[in-house]
Amino acid sequence: MEASISAAASVSVLAMAVIFAVLVILIFTIQALVKLMPYKAPPPAPPRLQTAASENSDQDDHVAAITATLAMHMGKSPSEFRIVNISQR
Amino acid sequence: MEFSFGASATKIITTTGFSSLEGGDAIMLVVACILLYLAIWKKFEPLLLLPIGFGCLLANIPMSMMASTDTGGLLNFFYQGVKHEILPPLVFMGVGALTDFGPLLANPATLLLGAAAQIGVYVTLIGAVYLGFNMHEASAIGIIGGADGPTSIFIASKLAPHLLAPIAVAAYSYMSLVPLIQPPIMKFLTTEKERKIKMEQLQPISQTVKIVFPVVVTIVCCLMLPGVTPLLGMLMLGNLFRESGVTARLHETAETHLINIVTILLALAVGSSMTADSFLRIETLKIIVLGLLAFSIATAGGVIFGKIMCKMTGGRVNPLIGSAGVSAVPMAARVSQKVGSDADSSNFLLMHAMGPNVAGVIGSAVAAGVFISLFGDTVAPETHAAIADVIGTVEPGAKAAISQVVEALKH
Repeated sequence: MEASISAAASVSVLAMAVIFAVLVILIFTIQALVKLMPYKAPPPAPPRLQTAASENSDQDDHVAAITATLAMHMGKSPSEFRIVNISQR
Repeated sequence: MEFSFGASATKIITTTGFSSLEGGDAIMLVVACILLYLAIWKKFEPLLLLPIGFGCLLANIPMSMMASTDTGGLLNFFYQGVKHEILPPLVFMGVGALTDFGPLLANPATLLLGAAAQIGVYVTLIGAVYLGFNMHEASAIGIIGGADGPTSIFIASKLAPHLLAPIAVAAYSYMSLVPLIQPPIMKFLTTEKERKIKMEQLQPISQTVKIVFPVVVTIVCCLMLPGVTPLLGMLMLGNLFRESGVTARLHETAETHLINIVTILLALAVGSSMTADSFLRIETLKIIVLGLLAFSIATAGGVIFGKIMCKMTGGRVNPLIGSAGVSAVPMAARVSQKVGSDADSSNFLLMHAMGPNVAGVIGSAVAAGVFISLFGDTVAPETHAAIADVIGTVEPGAKAAISQVVEALKH
């Protein structure tokens, strides 16, 4: 029994040493990785300028959304609609 | 064919389960109902204890052919996934897909807490040998201290398949009891002042590091301990699905449907191994006691190492995060948070505790790898069993002791 327990103790010491060795290697590897590939904060998003082009783009989106909704309501295909005039109020 | 009412009735009666129900089966049916009660009404790891309990229920219905040992039975097919070490690694893949290693990468020193908590595995190993288990059985029992169900099942099926049922039940039962087992130990080993320590915010980690990490861990750990490759390799593959950003569908499958399906199969297979013959033994009681010892010592080991790190860093590490080194993700980290916030409601330890928590997963997998290297039948056993070569740089006394162990194991 004593021999078994001393064998178990030896295995335990060895195994803990192996675990610490493996994880210490991993620690150094991670530190190296973090140093080699540092975190770079993403550049701040440029402020959105209200230009004529973007205004048009927004208007197109609105037209598309309204057309699709109307088409669904009337049971028709959106391609059946032809927008001839958009007047600003 | 001649039909006789009396003979037919007798035949039906003799083919009911009641006619073959023995005392052991009846006790196991009660055990199954207790597991179902704990899962449903007490919410003890219900995702696992419920199918385990139901698997146990099915396995102990006489003549149902649902025990893991019933060749050709349904659950025998499921059990092949345990026997051939397929299901635990697949669960690990799902765990990897669910795990964010960011906190660990931000504070890699917490890996040491994951290593320190493995002390519970080895103290239990010695305790199990003291109680009369052989080294293979003791290793499988000790790994309960890793607080990692799939690892416990993996090692038990490899080293002591006859103890699989009690080991799995003990592992999952104690994992569900982490919020009850850990806090008293954590409070006993730390002062109020230590529990109130606030840790600095973790540094952000680049996505490239997160992508490279699973590949590096696989190369480093699996080259050192090839026996652990099925577990650790799958864990890291799941994590690579998550972090690579190019496999969204695989990531989603691994972290949801796959892990759920595999959990059902695994838990039913484990439950099917809980027959009266394998479970109603004095060894089961010993394993349940040793499992509690394993959990308690693992928690204490993590907290004590946390205290050491606290001293070495001049009080920048809260020792409470050490208890999370026992794995049991994320419950152990939540317990660290809870005990920390009990001491100071403005103390947020959760993300800091996630570092040692996921380190515990790697630590317990490495501990399993050491056991497989020592006692398992790997492809090239001589390269792993040659412990004397591995410890070539250790002092001569220890080397001689290990050589004796190797010789003892060979016989």
